[in-house]
Amino acid sequence: MSHADSDQTYVESTIIMTTVRVVVPFVFTFGLFVMFHGAESAGGGFQGGVIVASAVLLLAFAFGIEPTREWLEGPLVKTTIAVGGATFAFVGLGALAMNGAFLEYEAYGFGSDGVKYGIELVELAIGAIVSGVLISLFFSLASGDFLVVSANNGIEAEPSENAANGSDDAASDSDNGSDDGVDASVGATGGELA
Amino acid sequence: MTTVSTTLAIVLTFSVLAALAAIFLRDVLNAIIAFAAFSFGIAVAWILLAAPDVALTEAAVGAGITTVLFLVTIAKTVRPSGERLLEAVEWRSVAIVVLLVGTLLTTVRSLPAVGSADAPVATSRVTEYYLQNAYPETGVENAVTAVLAAYRGFDTLGEATVVIAAGVAVLLVLRQEAYV
Repeated sequence: MSHADSDQTYVESTIIMTTVRVVVPFVFTFGLFVMFHGAESAGGGFQGGVIVASAVLLLAFAFGIEPTREWLEGPLVKTTIAVGGATFAFVGLGALAMNGAFLEYEAYGFGSDGVKYGIELVELAIGAIVSGVLISLFFSLASGDFLVVSANNGIEAEPSENAANGSDDAASDSDNGSDDGVDASVGATGGELA
Repeated sequence: MTTVSTTLAIVLTFSVLAALAAIFLRDVLNAIIAFAAFSFGIAVAWILLAAPDVALTEAAVGAGITTVLFLVTIAKTVRPSGERLLEAVEWRSVAIVVLLVGTLLTTVRSLPAVGSADAPVATSRVTEYYLQNAYPETGVENAVTAVLAAYRGFDTLGEATVVIAAGVAVLLVLRQEAYV
């Protein structure tokens, strides 16, 4: 996974870098606002998490995907996902420990305010999960090593697969082949990926 | 009400046209942009239907993140050769789509009118319970959040688990041990 290979399309642009540098803190804050303020207005953990993830994606587009990935390298994103899931589960289990039902916020004994803060905490946890998963998904897709691997496998596997197929499969193959060459074009795209 | 209906009709027409463009445009980049326009139209439709929570999700996920994920994916592919602007029509697929859409359209007649006061959702006892008790019981002003995080909290925990599981599964399939 060398720089030049996976980051070929990146062109440094002062305008984009400057704009993103100004905009990202606001996007990030807006994402947190949507998470926190989901209780009072439209929004919630899911939407806020997506907005927070998009702030990181903005950085990746402005400063290059590889440098951003290196900047985020380490257990940060993984930990965010895990802590989010664990927080949600423990808020539920904690209520059980306080002699309430699962996720019964009243059981914590803070009254109506406690319910609200419990909900806020759960929204934050959902936001952590969603933003973490989306950020990892983006960098996995963008790095693209897996595509080269699968494309090579496809090319090498195809002839041997056809040879090994019985008459049954061969019939279905020819059936696929008659589909106006759609399969053929997909195969060609896969080949050129490598 | 009529102005909302007219605006809604315009927005939905725009969305349908964008969806058709996404289907028929041959260049994948054009199709992705058309798909983002479709999602944007649907998000505006949700706002017009007074569902801001859903609109925010549609705008952020449909028009935002999904578009970006599509873009980074097609950056790894090559453009189709040839000068044709539109994709060739697969008549067998068209038949299936027409059949499916026709079946779904038969249910439209039994739906209540947009904004109708006696729609089952508006008159249901469950809706009334949530609207009357959500604030006193949870102290949360957004009834949608109250339902999601408090009354249906267990479901939401299940959804969060699904997101984690799906994320872990996809990342494993993509074989990115170096970065998860």
